[in-house]
Amino acid sequence: MSRFVHVIYIRTTPEKLWDALTKPEFTRAYWCEAGSAWRLMIPDGRIGDSGEVVEIDRPRRLVLSWRNEFLPELRAEGYSCATFEIEQVGDTVKLTVTHEMDRDDSKLIDGVSNGWPAILSSLKSLLETGTALAVTSRWPDNV
Amino acid sequence: MTDMTTESTVYVTYIATTPERLWAALTSSEFTTRYFFGRTVESDWKAGSPWLLRMPDSRVDVTGEVRVSDPPRRLVVSWNVDWIAEKLPEAVVSYEIETVGGGVLRLTMTESHPTPIPAALLEGGRKGWPMILSGLKSLLETGKPLGIPAPQPPKEEGE
Repeated sequence: MSRFVHVIYIRTTPEKLWDALTKPEFTRAYWCEAGSAWRLMIPDGRIGDSGEVVEIDRPRRLVLSWRNEFLPELRAEGYSCATFEIEQVGDTVKLTVTHEMDRDDSKLIDGVSNGWPAILSSLKSLLETGTALAVTSRWPDNV
Repeated sequence: MTDMTTESTVYVTYIATTPERLWAALTSSEFTTRYFFGRTVESDWKAGSPWLLRMPDSRVDVTGEVRVSDPPRRLVVSWNVDWIAEKLPEAVVSYEIETVGGGVLRLTMTESHPTPIPAALLEGGRKGWPMILSGLKSLLETGKPLGIPAPQPPKEEGE
């Protein structure tokens, strides 16, 4: 089992955070109801990651099956599972992202372990200040 | 039989600020009182000097020694929780500040345990660091700390 967990607290509402995670105007990702397919698009039109919506309970919990699509080595690992949990704490919202895969030393989990802190930091900045961090607002040139 | 561990806790966050401001936020009470559950810090932040973290009621929370001080890039301190009656092995906490471009820094906090501790004791840091460092990021980016309710202040054992 490979597992990555990141917790971040954001001054927002559960509904706004949910929309930020699921609406294309924020993420260009598309996921809607349990059983439906979702895709995360790279700005040049390639599919970055894809899977199915396993569980959806707006605005508290979203579970996605998740496979990398654009790096053959990662795609070969098959499906992982990403869980987003949203909880109100005081005037802030606690977001817990758990990304796990049923294999040891997963390269996908290794990769997302670097990615999630940057993406979630940027999401927090976007919701709190209206501006995402420059480091994640563009797709990197060399990937 | 208690599970013992030397596992580290690592928390990474990206903050739109300058290294100097982030360094000040880590080392001055003017900032820490606003994001570190009301705690103040005391030290001259020179390698080899003592440092301490004080609770809002002025009891001492953590004491230690500054191991590495390379402003505004790297700070390493030893970490002894002072209010627990049973003496725990010393932990080490390090902060690394890296510039990643676009006016953004990567802050990496590592809480390591050179000597094994009961695994259950990792929970405090695993719950606390995301709150503390999320609040630090908000404070530096928006000027306002987060309103996360502070965990119950620890009771001195034996009281």
